[in-house]
Amino acid sequence: MAFIDIKNLSFTYPNEDKKVLDNISLKIDEGEFIVVCGSTGCGKSTLLKQLKVDLSPHGVKTGDIFYKNTSIDSLDKRTAASEIGYVLQNPEAQIVTDKVWHELAFGLENLGVPSSVIRLKVAEIASFFGIEEWFRQKTADLSGGQKQLLNLASIMVMNPKLLILDEPTSQLDPIAAADFISTLAKLNKELSLTILLVEHRLEEVFTHADKVAVLDEGKLIAFDKPRNISKFIKNHPVLYSMPTPVRVYNKFSTDDDCPLTIREGRSWLLKNFPNKKNLSISIESKTLEEDNPVLEMKDIYFRYDKTLPDVLTGTSLKVYRGEIFCILGGNGSGKTTALTLLSRINKPYRGKVILNGKNIDKYKSKELYHNNIALLPQDPQTTFVTDSVEKEFKEIIKTMNYSKLEAEVKVDKIIDRLNIKTIIKKHPYDLSGGEQQKVALAKILLLEPEIILLDEPTKGIDAYSKIELANILKELKDEGKTILMVSHDIEFAAEYSDRCALFFDGEVVSVGDPYSFFNGNNFYTTAANKMSRNIFKNAITSEDVIELCKKIQIENTN
Amino acid sequence: MRAFDSYHPIVIFTYFCSTILFSMFFMHPIFLSISLASSILYLGFLKGFHNMKRTILISIPLFLIIAISNPIFSHRGVTPLFYINYNPITLESVIYGLSMAGMIVTVIFWFSCYNEVMTSDKFISLFGKISPSIALIISMTINTVPRMKRQIELITNSQKTLGMYVHSGSIIKRAKSSIRILSILITWALENAIDTADSMNARGYGLRGRTSHSLFKFKRNDFFLFSFIILLSALCVYGEMANYISFSYYPYISKINLSYFSFILYFSYLLLMTLPLVIEFKETIRWRLSISKI
Repeated sequence: MAFIDIKNLSFTYPNEDKKVLDNISLKIDEGEFIVVCGSTGCGKSTLLKQLKVDLSPHGVKTGDIFYKNTSIDSLDKRTAASEIGYVLQNPEAQIVTDKVWHELAFGLENLGVPSSVIRLKVAEIASFFGIEEWFRQKTADLSGGQKQLLNLASIMVMNPKLLILDEPTSQLDPIAAADFISTLAKLNKELSLTILLVEHRLEEVFTHADKVAVLDEGKLIAFDKPRNISKFIKNHPVLYSMPTPVRVYNKFSTDDDCPLTIREGRSWLLKNFPNKKNLSISIESKTLEEDNPVLEMKDIYFRYDKTLPDVLTGTSLKVYRGEIFCILGGNGSGKTTALTLLSRINKPYRGKVILNGKNIDKYKSKELYHNNIALLPQDPQTTFVTDSVEKEFKEIIKTMNYSKLEAEVKVDKIIDRLNIKTIIKKHPYDLSGGEQQKVALAKILLLEPEIILLDEPTKGIDAYSKIELANILKELKDEGKTILMVSHDIEFAAEYSDRCALFFDGEVVSVGDPYSFFNGNNFYTTAANKMSRNIFKNAITSEDVIELCKKIQIENTN
Repeated sequence: MRAFDSYHPIVIFTYFCSTILFSMFFMHPIFLSISLASSILYLGFLKGFHNMKRTILISIPLFLIIAISNPIFSHRGVTPLFYINYNPITLESVIYGLSMAGMIVTVIFWFSCYNEVMTSDKFISLFGKISPSIALIISMTINTVPRMKRQIELITNSQKTLGMYVHSGSIIKRAKSSIRILSILITWALENAIDTADSMNARGYGLRGRTSHSLFKFKRNDFFLFSFIILLSALCVYGEMANYISFSYYPYISKINLSYFSFILYFSYLLLMTLPLVIEFKETIRWRLSISKI
């Protein structure tokens, strides 16, 4: 008797031929932590929504889902509301009321629980989640991480038996995301709560999961323990979102179990690939035009309001032509603020920004934003103002005063390059996170900038979209464009940037090429570097580790 | 935490209802002066006397305009002071103008006090008892406004760096780009509303028998204060009905009633108007005493 039993489930959206879910069968026992993964559009969100009848989309459904041996469609509404909890992706839009305490009480109010009982349950849940300190605050004033924790808490207060989460951490920074995942693990271990989680960032969740389900084009291609998953997914794109040890293990056929954590990865490396010859990655040294930065920050001081403390305290930074420069740093370190100064959204009260040897204030708006600097904001949605992708491009063409023929050539070239031909008729809001970002990037490229500023470009997009983005950035770099991005994503920076800088407390504390930058750090570094430290000299990405392992393999066979 | 604020919203709301209504309808000069003085004192206590300078500075011109315009436009009354263009300016209408101006300024002050004390969550919890759905709508609106503001800022910045001029260019251009931003904001809001609706549905919104939770409990203290406010208010209303404090400005100004009972009425009105201050004072003394005992 399984807790949840999905039998031959298929689902098709109205007016479409392709099945979004294709004959899926799986059984989930009570208290299991299940992670569902797969690339965008593989049907994972649709699968989750089938389990929550209130949210399930219209369409043709065949097969059955049983919840505690009752068909999910015949489940009483009240039971479904309280026993099956659902957390969505966007932390902000899920919050209904204006005060934290009211949000916590909202679900119980709907169930008609008397006020005296609500008081107790809300107190209980606030203590469990550590919400006491911001219990009386306005929900609008919370950070993204706090908001998502509040969403989780306001569902847990209804005491669900099954918790479903649809990419809950995609809008959070890595630290808030890790906190959130560990809270889920706590709920699972302490309360034996059954959890069904869709994620594309798997580094954290893999160690907590009991089983992992991999979906591909609506089919279930793997459903097994995390350690066995590696066997099913040779060369599948979903591999890129797996933890580093799994990705390295996947490339070699060893007899032992798949390592999941960095610690296990290390002992697996030591056992199978002892580095006797002290091999290392050969690094081509690059020369920079030291005297000729394209973009420079000189002793910048900035604060948002006279009464507030400085966000940037004497920041200096040089970016050279044709490089991918990545600014890393935690929340509130001032890195996004630095980007607003570089794009002249804000102005420093002391110090200056120099673009091509000329103070940025001296440029006219048109001069600056056309053909010089362009910014891809954190939320690509904010760049859209019309109801189709095509019209978005037309907006830009209008401001750039291209002739008709010129415009056509340019738009076609960009559509081709970003591979967005199929979506140009769609509404920008209907696209997936990765697609929205590509469209926003296309808009920016139409402005033909020399310098492209990107704010958290990897936030909320899946592993495959990340690789696509990286390839586009590399191409742009080869054309001589300069790319400056601000990111939390250490792995992405290590793999694709030419130089990295660490922001801390409003200042740049270290700058360097990724190899020297990450090898110099003990804590703020990639998983691959942590895993291979003192075994390999300078591996910082999983590709590096794989390359060295292969070399060692060859050495050993010779 | 101010002592009066910690009472139940119903008590606070009733209190402000009675003070504001009485200030509006009781035109008796003694009542007016009591109310004006108390409102200034209370507002000063709430905002700090330093910060209320602006409120007072704004109210002075308003006071003057009303006080001066009444005798100019109204020529009722029996005691002409002088003539402008053969129109009498009467003593009665000057005094009535002053009272009227005083009344309006007083009501404004009381409303400022109300805004300081009656925060949105108190107001919502009050409504929750009467109509839970209206209370929820108010709460959702309060939550949405700052988010919309933020989104407008983000969209504006994005458009700026895309070379769309939001803050420059001709008025028509600017208006056009503002409309465009507004229209996409509505799309954004609707898009988000779907998520919000999902989240509400997922938590069982729309099931029968929704209750309304509030952090405020009606305690014994609240009951006592509530009864006291009702008692004082009833006394004042009785005084008005029984003509103890009726007062007329036209055609000539009536005499102020100085009977014993009217003094009781003046005193009870003073007590009602200064009630929050009395409570604060009492609480401060109690706090000092309790500390000195340690």
